[in-house]
Amino acid sequence: MAGVTVPFERVDSGVATTAPVQPILVVDDIVKRFETPDGVLTAVDHVSFSVAPGEFVGIIGPSGCGKSTLFNVIGGLLDGYEGTVKVADERVRGPHRSIGMIFQEESTFPWRNVIDNVAFPLEIAGLPKAERYERAKHFVRLVGLDGFERRYPAELSGGMRQRVSMARTLAAQPKILLMDEPFASLDEQTRLLLGDKVLQIQQQLKQTTLLITHNITEAVQLSDRILVMTYRPGKVKRMVEIKLPRPRSSEVVSSEAFGRYVAQIWGDLREEASRGLEDEEGRKLREGEKR
Amino acid sequence: MAETGRLSLPSARPLRLPVHPVTALRIGIIVAVLVIWELVSASGWLYRDVVPSLGAIGKALYATLSDPSFYFHLYTTFYEIGIAMVIGGVSGLAVGILLGGSKFMSRAYEAYLYYLGPCPKIIFFPIMIMWFGVGPGSKVAMGAISCFFPVALNVAGGMREIDKVLIRVGRSFRANTWQMVTKIYLPAMRHPVINGMRLGLGVALIGTLLAETKLSNRGIGFLVIQAYSIFNMPQMYALLIILFVIAIGANTVIGRVGGLDTIKRT
Amino acid sequence: MSEAAVAAGRAFARSRYGPALIGLGSFVAFIMLVELLIRVGLINRFIVPMPSDIIAAFPRVIEEEQVLHRFVLTATEALSATILVTVLGVTGGVLLHRYLLLRQATETWVAAIAAAPLVLMYPLYLVIFGRSALTIVMMGFTAGLAPVILKTLEGLSGTRRVLINVGKSFNLTPSQQFWKILFPAALPTIFVGLRLGLIFSLINIVGIEFLINFGGLGQLINELAERYDLPGTYAAICFVILVSVCVFVLMERLERWLRPVD
Repeated sequence: MAGVTVPFERVDSGVATTAPVQPILVVDDIVKRFETPDGVLTAVDHVSFSVAPGEFVGIIGPSGCGKSTLFNVIGGLLDGYEGTVKVADERVRGPHRSIGMIFQEESTFPWRNVIDNVAFPLEIAGLPKAERYERAKHFVRLVGLDGFERRYPAELSGGMRQRVSMARTLAAQPKILLMDEPFASLDEQTRLLLGDKVLQIQQQLKQTTLLITHNITEAVQLSDRILVMTYRPGKVKRMVEIKLPRPRSSEVVSSEAFGRYVAQIWGDLREEASRGLEDEEGRKLREGEKR
Repeated sequence: MAETGRLSLPSARPLRLPVHPVTALRIGIIVAVLVIWELVSASGWLYRDVVPSLGAIGKALYATLSDPSFYFHLYTTFYEIGIAMVIGGVSGLAVGILLGGSKFMSRAYEAYLYYLGPCPKIIFFPIMIMWFGVGPGSKVAMGAISCFFPVALNVAGGMREIDKVLIRVGRSFRANTWQMVTKIYLPAMRHPVINGMRLGLGVALIGTLLAETKLSNRGIGFLVIQAYSIFNMPQMYALLIILFVIAIGANTVIGRVGGLDTIKRT
Repeated sequence: MSEAAVAAGRAFARSRYGPALIGLGSFVAFIMLVELLIRVGLINRFIVPMPSDIIAAFPRVIEEEQVLHRFVLTATEALSATILVTVLGVTGGVLLHRYLLLRQATETWVAAIAAAPLVLMYPLYLVIFGRSALTIVMMGFTAGLAPVILKTLEGLSGTRRVLINVGKSFNLTPSQQFWKILFPAALPTIFVGLRLGLIFSLINIVGIEFLINFGGLGQLINELAERYDLPGTYAAICFVILVSVCVFVLMERLERWLRPVD
């Protein structure tokens, strides 16, 4: 049965700290260029990193740093790049069964109720109905939506819908969870609480996770390690180990250490962000003059 | 002396009707039309037969509905339209998905559909007769051609309006093409598809019926033209009434089923 | 395939005229294939005439059958129907907008009529108006009326609240309010309705001409078919398609010219 990891129970593989463990995701020297009317744009410029099993890695950068491109490359939705992406030593060529993606936009199927949404990947994989529903129920409970199985997305709040999307991706039990700004459309409080939920789930499942975001607080709250990207062409500017204690909760945002990490990352990010802003403004100016 | 501090409402005289005013107006209009009709009929101002008395129409209605051979013709027309809808609908769906899913195909071929769509398809009837004979085949062909265009165009448009993220979700879970079509494209397009089918039914109805009036020996269209040829006006009115009731009813049902509340043609 | 060829192919597919050329080209290729199959005998030439014969028939049909005269006839019928539809349709829509009770009572009726196969009434019109141009015009009028009423109504009632309030703030009389604010604001939608009405009218007019064997272009097809002039029939059908396509393209251009901001 392609796409579903068996057995059902997850084996504890531990969180990588100092002992060198075989990385589960290897991103090796990715270069991705785009052809635009203004010429060739290098979105991602020689980016390499690896992720250990059970690790939570955050990728943060200003708008235009290529992080969404990286997301699509690793997830196998983009091709035409240089370099390789390997999951458990297997080369990624197109969407991979061990990689689960959670998108930024609203992605629940409006015509399916919650349980049917979550069971979708299992349906694609061909699991029999009873088994599908049992597994889907487990993940619906995991994200805290039990009782809502028969509701439709239109009846749920934005945060709840994102939880449905999350449960759906988790139901496929991917080795690696790839998230692209999943909380972008939510307000700050919902974001923090959902972040708690994500931490809880990740710790419970020992899920290897890659989170792409522009929100520093979110990145520091959730990650073991953060990669700070430069503005286009996107490179890894710095890698920051977040040595905040685990298990964590959203209360950690009020600690001193937290504040220091945020300040440090903002220091790096601000440079890139202002470069991005200048570049954007310059482009708009030129566009206006052309007209 | 102006009264301050009191809001005066314009003509707030309560209406004491036993029925809602809208219903009252509707009944009033219907009654007025019937009365005028009957008067015109009785006066003989137009040819007596062009405006037959309501009684004559009523009798013809009753006679038609209790005539078993009428149902044979009704069944024939239903059967022709049914097959036409299946052929036209499925091919329209397939072509629509193809065009909507590929920008290249759309730019190469969709314009032809768009501009050919509003052409009156009945002009193709002579060709259909040559290819499919004078029997039901040519009528089905007329209905199918008519039905194809609105379905294909609506589906093509619907494909383009599908929220792109839903397609990415499907791809990220590695759904194969059939799964993408049945579990993502079609459900996401349910409104345009149903709307296209509704329009398709409307034009298939017209195409098939007109073909029946032109060259056929069975079907509702044939009955209408037969009534014309023997100048049986009450019968013609009766048939038209039955036809319109069925057509409007079908349109409403599909519209409701599709979750759409209007029965506007566009 | 070499990388350069693939890249060139992609560029062509994305170019401005590439896909259109492919589309056109594939049709031409298809027609040539049909020609070949008929010459070889795989397709019965008495059912499908050779495309070359059809093309040859064009000049003959245009000359002998006074196509221009027929075109003018059909156009006149369409124009008459359109004038009737415009005057009565827009007035109807305005009335429905003005008198709320009337609208509440009859709007769904009008929508229902729009969905009914009105063209089936043509035998009735034949009896009333005889086999004449009047039947054709009335049929066109009947078919095009409902969409115009509905769209006029839609346009008038869809006027943004704030524009109405602007009028009120200037103390406009109801008549001024209508002519200076409501009607201009509704004009784009009304034009959409007129275009729809014209399309439905035209479809019905050509169709009825064919069916009752009277009139202009529609009748031409019928006549050629009854004479078993196969290439001529096909040619006439192609011609009618061409004409209707031109009319619709023109209408779109006209509409876009009248509504430059959208």
